[in-house]
Amino acid sequence: MFTQHNRKSRQLLASGIKSTYDDDLYPTRLNFYREPPLLEISIEEFEQFALDRMQVLQALLTAQMRNLTPEQLDKAVNEAIRKYMPMSPNSKSNTSHRQLMEERRKDHISHFILRLAYSRSQELRSWFLRAECALFRYRFEKEMLKDQLEFLEKQNLSWKKVSDEDKRLLREKLKTSSFKAGNIDEETYFEVDFERVTGLVGRRQVYIQAGKAFVRLSDQVVLVLDEFKERLSHALEVTGRALPRMDEDDRLMPVLNNINKQYLGREFTSSAIAGEIQASDVDTLKVHMPLCMEHLHDELRREKHTRHGGRMQYGLFLKGMGLSLEQALIFWQMAFEKITPEQFNKNYAYNVRHTYGMEGKRTDYTPYSCKSIIMNNAPGPGDHHGCPFRHFSAPNLRAQLAAHNVDEFDTDDIIHKVQQRHYQIACTRYYEVTRAKMVGISPENVKGGLSDSATGSMIASQEVIEHPNQFFEQSYLLMKSKNAESEGGAASGATGAGEGMDGVTGPAPLDATVKGRYTYKKAGASISSNVQHDIDM
Amino acid sequence: MSDMDIDHDPRERQRTVEAGQPEGQVEKDDLDHLFDLDDSELDKVDNPWMTGTKPISSNADAGDIHQQLMLYYRHFFPFKPFFQWLNYDIAPKPSKSFLNREICWTLMDDTFIRFQSYRTLEEFKNDMIRLNPAKFDLGAIYNIRPKDRHMVRPTAFIPVAKEMVFDIDMTDYDEIRTCCKGADVCNKCWEFMTVAMKIIDVAMRDDFGFKHILWVYSGRRGIHCWIADERARKLNNDQRKAIVSYLEVIKGGAQQGKKVKLPNTLHPSLSRSFETIQEHFRNLVFESQEILSEPENWEKILTLIPDEGVQARIRQSWEDSPNRAPSLKWAELLDSIGDEIAQHSAKRQALEHFPRDIMFQFTYPRLDDKVSTNINHLLKSPFCVHPKTGRVCVPIPIEDCEDFDPSSPPTVPQLVQELNQYDATHPTSDDDSNKLQDWQKTSLRKHVEYFERFLKGLSREMREKKQKGR
Repeated sequence: MFTQHNRKSRQLLASGIKSTYDDDLYPTRLNFYREPPLLEISIEEFEQFALDRMQVLQALLTAQMRNLTPEQLDKAVNEAIRKYMPMSPNSKSNTSHRQLMEERRKDHISHFILRLAYSRSQELRSWFLRAECALFRYRFEKEMLKDQLEFLEKQNLSWKKVSDEDKRLLREKLKTSSFKAGNIDEETYFEVDFERVTGLVGRRQVYIQAGKAFVRLSDQVVLVLDEFKERLSHALEVTGRALPRMDEDDRLMPVLNNINKQYLGREFTSSAIAGEIQASDVDTLKVHMPLCMEHLHDELRREKHTRHGGRMQYGLFLKGMGLSLEQALIFWQMAFEKITPEQFNKNYAYNVRHTYGMEGKRTDYTPYSCKSIIMNNAPGPGDHHGCPFRHFSAPNLRAQLAAHNVDEFDTDDIIHKVQQRHYQIACTRYYEVTRAKMVGISPENVKGGLSDSATGSMIASQEVIEHPNQFFEQSYLLMKSKNAESEGGAASGATGAGEGMDGVTGPAPLDATVKGRYTYKKAGASISSNVQHDIDM
Repeated sequence: MSDMDIDHDPRERQRTVEAGQPEGQVEKDDLDHLFDLDDSELDKVDNPWMTGTKPISSNADAGDIHQQLMLYYRHFFPFKPFFQWLNYDIAPKPSKSFLNREICWTLMDDTFIRFQSYRTLEEFKNDMIRLNPAKFDLGAIYNIRPKDRHMVRPTAFIPVAKEMVFDIDMTDYDEIRTCCKGADVCNKCWEFMTVAMKIIDVAMRDDFGFKHILWVYSGRRGIHCWIADERARKLNNDQRKAIVSYLEVIKGGAQQGKKVKLPNTLHPSLSRSFETIQEHFRNLVFESQEILSEPENWEKILTLIPDEGVQARIRQSWEDSPNRAPSLKWAELLDSIGDEIAQHSAKRQALEHFPRDIMFQFTYPRLDDKVSTNINHLLKSPFCVHPKTGRVCVPIPIEDCEDFDPSSPPTVPQLVQELNQYDATHPTSDDDSNKLQDWQKTSLRKHVEYFERFLKGLSREMREKKQKGR
């Protein structure tokens, strides 16, 4: 859209000096990002660079959270790096100098764009800090020793070296402080505040005296990382304070605001990936629901009723699935079979309409994300809402998993993740295991985004489940593509989303004929306007 | 106690701050000015022991715990030094440290009132007397006043400082303690606390360079440690975690037998701790706890031996002559292990350091790590009265830690009796007597004076720092 260079982005990123690729600018692929890039950039490049870096950061964080083996982690991360932001080492012979500089320039610029985008709030800053530190550490550890040293030499890090005299005095202490300690006389030690090397202190692998830690040169990655973190943290604070002063820019701000929404995950409005759903389809679609919603559904069927928290969580989820207001009213009225239509209209219809933004302050509510289900409004006695991984006792969760044919090995794996409070990762694992079974492949083949078969790699989507509707959509699309695959690409499977239910067959065939079986008078007409807000029985 | 870090918002009581008490209301640079509600002005008629001329002194007449606490807060709680501590400033004006500190009251019915904070000492004191809490905890110092936290986004209410704290509770020793169980404590098992104080105190001073360390009796069966150095107060959670895991040696739950797994070469810090352990191990484990005197007790050690042959041999021998002195039995254990290693060098790795690890397991401090690692975790304040034992949570001077007797801190009835005795023997016309605070007339005095010495160390350092800053 924009072909001309953006004046304001130039102002923002540089002081107006047009720069070519300076040899000294990026001697190694490691970068402390002290200076902002001094160059012009088009607005498309601006956004693209930022989004590419996001992909890498997200791939790295996700891979780290999933407890993969180092090889699996490398594979997952490298894939993202190769695709979005390749960074060649100096030693790579078939890469031209120009290309090296080009790569490093992109790294440099994208870092600063994200810094802008993520300096707005404390929450964003801390996420970005965590992500960038992870990336820096990953790169540093992969770097050749020669390049590491070259990089460090250039940084002017003011670490106090321990004198030979002191080393002699502390010899025994230094020796017994770390089982890795070799020849003390030849080893270089730095003296730093113990607060900076918490990892070494916590593992009792460093000698400390009066608050000073004596760190070996070979443990320096800890120090480098700490230095990186401290500087970036400070820089983010500064940028955050300066940010309001550039708010007048009407081209960059939307881009920046869009970027920093990325990690918070998609917001699900009514996506209707399965077409418009009828009230009667819900039971058959249950197989694609995450555990939390399936549980709510089962309890609704069992008790013929759901309390307010459950109605909100499940009702909005159904809305996100594509259940229209009219169908929602049918669904809930049918479900509450013990009460009369009059009672329903009086006590519940308003509520349903309210969630669709048709009453009260007319907020069009969006379905709850995993984060909000896990963090907010914990279930009380008699409630069935919440996240099973967060709110179920371990025995109950085990029973639920067993009921879904999750074997003992995977159950232990899931419970372990729950104990580490990685509820969403646990849910993701649950997804992988159960969906693999659903399409008939071994769950072993889908761990960590690695799989040989096409369907397998679809299951092993690298994304963590962050939203119940994401779980549903992934599962639904999976089944759809599986059916397409098995039918040899028959026309039915190949049609895109929005085609409705007709194309889907398989283990859970949807009965298209039930559509429109219910005739329903518009509920609104009979609802008096003074119905109480938020009735809960 | 692990629930204490949860926000008890629903039960929390909102209080409106009285109008006309803006910040900085205290202008005069005079500490005493802060205390218009002085002890002497409090209505002593409330004291049931003071009605009539004859003081009543026996414990049976001491009234219920409600009354005891009310008397304690009105007459004995050392508000002035307490404020000086929380204020962390040489000026008497309330500083951020005091203003933004979370106080959590626990009422008699176990209601928590979290996130309370006060603009002046007087306000704090009035609330304490009004609420008459069973106890109160100190939380973190936040970036804004905890009472104002609803005025900002939840993410903008941030704990910024707190003392580095440790909580050591005797119940964590129940599996190795034979003299008492549960809430009980005696001088025999108190030695575990003595060892804990010695080991942690020296580690904090020598290794981490902290100087202002306050040990406090928790009122029943444990001890608390408050490290008040500025550097300690500013530690973030990761750094607190690092310190705890630096100290931690005993790991694993009830299902874990051998809880100590240390490398062949001890870290200098642990070598030093091991010296302390060696000083206490025999007396504490063999004499006081009689671990090697009864089969059911010595099994606690034998089952941990990682070699079944050695285990069976020693068991047989001890059962054959169960009445030998513990030191002989221990020597036999060491010999058996030594012989086994001499014969099978492959077993060296598993057996060589077994006796050392056992000594750690039976004497080394056991920490409640959650209390230490979370900056906003609550911990019961010094100078509370333990609602079950009625004893005041007094500081323990580290140099006297060997001699501390957990049944020695005064109870409220005792303090009342001492006060009455003092007043009876010192006529009120006596000028000196009038100037004294009530706690100064009782055995609480030496404890408060020790606390004041601790404060003096802090304020000396703050003064030096201010002078340097100029």
